[in-house]
Amino acid sequence: MTAQRQASSASQSLLISPAELSYLYTSLSLPDGPIRPDGRSPTQFRPLTAETDILPGTNGSARVGFADGTQAIVGVKAEVEKTVVAAEALNLSQQQTQEDYADNEGGEGQKTSSHGHGSWVQMSIEIPGFRDDDALPVFLSEMMREPLVESVAGAGDGMGGDEMAGGLKGRLVINKRWHWRLYIDVLLLSQPLSYPLPLLSLTTHLALLSTKLPKLKSKGEEDPFFDDDWNAAEYLYPRSPSGPRLSSTKQVRPPVTLLVISVGDNVIFDPNREEIAVADTVLAVSVTQDSDSDGLKLLSIRTVDPPSRLTQPGVSNSENVATLGSTAAAEEAAMTDPSTGEEVAGVWRPRRGGVKRRTIAKMLKLVLQKGGVGEEVLEGLEGVQVG
Amino acid sequence: MTDRRRINGPPSGTRPAVFASSLKSASSISTGRPRRQRQPDELRKIFLKTGLIPSASGSAYLEFEPSASLAAARSNPQSLIPPSSALKLACTVHGPKPLPRSASFSPNVVLTTHVKYAPFAARQRKGHIRDASERDLGVHLETALRGVIVAERWPKSGLDITITILEAEDDRWWGDAPDSHDAPWGMMNVLAGCITAASAAIADARIDCLDLVAGGVAAIVSDESAEGETSTPKLMLDTDPAEHKSILSACVVAYMPSRDEITELWLKGDHSKASLGTTDQSLNHESLIDGAVNAARGAHTVLAEAVKESAERFAGLSTGANTV
Amino acid sequence: MATALPTLAIPGQRLGSIASYAAGPGTHVQNATIYASIAGPVVVDQAQPSSKAKLILSVSRTGPKKAAAPAPSTKASAKPATTGKPKLRYNTLPAVDSVVLARVTRVQKRQATVSILVVLDESASSQPLNPAQTTSDNDNIEAILSSAANPENHSNSDELRFQALIRKEDVRAVEKDRVVMDEMFRVGDIVRGTVISLGDQSFYYLTTARNDLGVVMARSESGNMMFPVSWKEMRDPVTGVAELRKVARPF
Repeated sequence: MTAQRQASSASQSLLISPAELSYLYTSLSLPDGPIRPDGRSPTQFRPLTAETDILPGTNGSARVGFADGTQAIVGVKAEVEKTVVAAEALNLSQQQTQEDYADNEGGEGQKTSSHGHGSWVQMSIEIPGFRDDDALPVFLSEMMREPLVESVAGAGDGMGGDEMAGGLKGRLVINKRWHWRLYIDVLLLSQPLSYPLPLLSLTTHLALLSTKLPKLKSKGEEDPFFDDDWNAAEYLYPRSPSGPRLSSTKQVRPPVTLLVISVGDNVIFDPNREEIAVADTVLAVSVTQDSDSDGLKLLSIRTVDPPSRLTQPGVSNSENVATLGSTAAAEEAAMTDPSTGEEVAGVWRPRRGGVKRRTIAKMLKLVLQKGGVGEEVLEGLEGVQVG
Repeated sequence: MTDRRRINGPPSGTRPAVFASSLKSASSISTGRPRRQRQPDELRKIFLKTGLIPSASGSAYLEFEPSASLAAARSNPQSLIPPSSALKLACTVHGPKPLPRSASFSPNVVLTTHVKYAPFAARQRKGHIRDASERDLGVHLETALRGVIVAERWPKSGLDITITILEAEDDRWWGDAPDSHDAPWGMMNVLAGCITAASAAIADARIDCLDLVAGGVAAIVSDESAEGETSTPKLMLDTDPAEHKSILSACVVAYMPSRDEITELWLKGDHSKASLGTTDQSLNHESLIDGAVNAARGAHTVLAEAVKESAERFAGLSTGANTV
Repeated sequence: MATALPTLAIPGQRLGSIASYAAGPGTHVQNATIYASIAGPVVVDQAQPSSKAKLILSVSRTGPKKAAAPAPSTKASAKPATTGKPKLRYNTLPAVDSVVLARVTRVQKRQATVSILVVLDESASSQPLNPAQTTSDNDNIEAILSSAANPENHSNSDELRFQALIRKEDVRAVEKDRVVMDEMFRVGDIVRGTVISLGDQSFYYLTTARNDLGVVMARSESGNMMFPVSWKEMRDPVTGVAELRKVARPF
């Protein structure tokens, strides 16, 4: 019961006193930019170590570890599966073009083949101390799967665009009757010290980047038949042969989900546990990079329940029973219901209410703008040696 | 392992049979697609009533007006399959009640939200055990409500909010192949309805709230025009997914009008291609959020009336007794 | 600004400025403005009639009694109307100093466990010695009590009620060390007590250390409803057998 309640909020049982919370909040909401407990700048990420292709039994894998010892491993496995063709009877509009298919049979350019199905991507997250059906793993996996299947690149006009038409879903289509099914299994190796979303998302991104699918030898509508030379396998997300830095803006990349919080008027990225505990708003923003637009593409936003709403309020000096009578304000405070009173500076109150639209706009701008945090993160991930 | 002694049904859900005789021509099925007859910024009517479940401390029932095509199909059915569905859901609030013995001390109210589809709510049957999407909806709803409830007024107590969805919105028109757009867009409408109904039920239970929070949906859709050409994407409020060929991106918010604040925001989809009038394409998400907020404002007017009615019913007993 | 007050408020509705009113129950303050936080009639109360303190603005949770009329005179006029009419259930949490009625569920050597049946009205708790007020305010209590005192009704509905403890030293004000719990309460008794602490995660703490607090209803060993005869004794009207209790002063 208790575990379930805390599971849905943004982090696990945090035992921070109201005085500490108030101190953190004040220093993070300073008008001249926040002072973070670990001295980072508002947009700076925690240092991490990353490696890819660590699991030989998978199509792609990655491990990311933060300096505080939390580590995550992601393995991506792909299986060939028969496409259920139940829709044909109803797809009369397609039946009209049946003759076109007959001509195109065996050819390369089927129009419908770029339609994939979102359920072909399965994601499961395992976090120690949580059951599979607890709110946190379910919420996290939905949050990370959503942008993956949602990223639909338009008809390709870039160089890598043709292959990625229809986004990841389209890439999984082999032919009309067969498709790949992708299993993304995320394993958090330690108890989550902070909200594990950034860690899991970065690891998943790297694992997908390193994922290879065997090269298809069969053509068209034949039953699929693959090249058994692993060296000839193709990347799920095509990589340019030249240096990654150069053409990085042209490549389709898996989405990254960033955790952004707002404290007062400040916007802070990659919060640690203490920072998230006093956040006014917690947003999970998923962005990706596309072949046909030069900027970043927003794929999804979700609000995460800030744990600051569950904290214990502080007691101001005027209401303190221990000093009651010694302060002049005590008498006045006794008149009114203390819980209806206004905020006293320096006394922690659990956050209540929502977020203003301009705050959301500000947070998104920082992520999406040119040279913003989103591009910085993707660039950093691009630097990780793959293969 | 298949059971050879019985003839089993297909392992997954099936679509209703479409009889060839009911399809007059191949084109009839595309004209059978329901069409949006409302203005882009016109909302469906909402029916909302509180206090229907006497054993709960607060309750509400919410229903969306069926879209025009559904209403027409009901009066003059051309096929056994209704062209679209309309949202119907019931929300109950139990509590404040004591926490179970095992729970630790909490200075605030402990909120639990359950969202459950009735097995017959959607075209595809839902099981009795909550699946991932229902749990996901529950978390979204909890986020939306926790920002509204003044939690410290109810120490040591729990509040259970249970929503049963009797009829859910479709994710797409039934005639479309499941892969035309397979994202669960209907879920977003369901969430907006859940938020509005839960807000009414909480007010009916007299739990302290900052404001009445209302849910609203807006989407960027690219519709098929009469010639079958896809037109330019448009921003629409309160979209019924069955009425649109393709939804590019949608957004649902939980919005508090008196404070102009959002407690829950869920936006997904790719809207980078859509050019909405003069606005910069990179700011599409902002117009989407603004659209959803406007839809929520509309729902709030209904919500306020329903809660006022609840308060009158509550206070009305005394005025009634005074006259006797 | 009293004229601008609405009779009925809904959550989020602006009621007035903090400069002219003080925020009472059912309201909250945001940016020096009082907003309603529950739906119900708006009530304006003077905390102490003589003081020049601000009027307390609140939204009534219990509803009917003095609906929507800011004038203090309505209290008297509304009184006859309130007697004998059905009242809606209300959501009231036990708070420190509130008077509650509770049923004894377990008696141990050092403490008695009770389950709280009803939290009496705030106005009743502030004037505990006004019997007319108490009875008229809580007329649905009779129904609760008659069902609760019935031994067959001891179902597992206790799970849904707030649990509380009466410790041995909180039973009465005098001779605290001579208290024998078995001679104070029996399982099934209905006790009136006040809350002294919200306690730990599972129990509230009650006290009955006042003349008007203690057992108000009890059944004898043979199952008959007893009447009080002294501050520590109740008697069965049928068998005439007396039993020991910490009896609340009857009105």
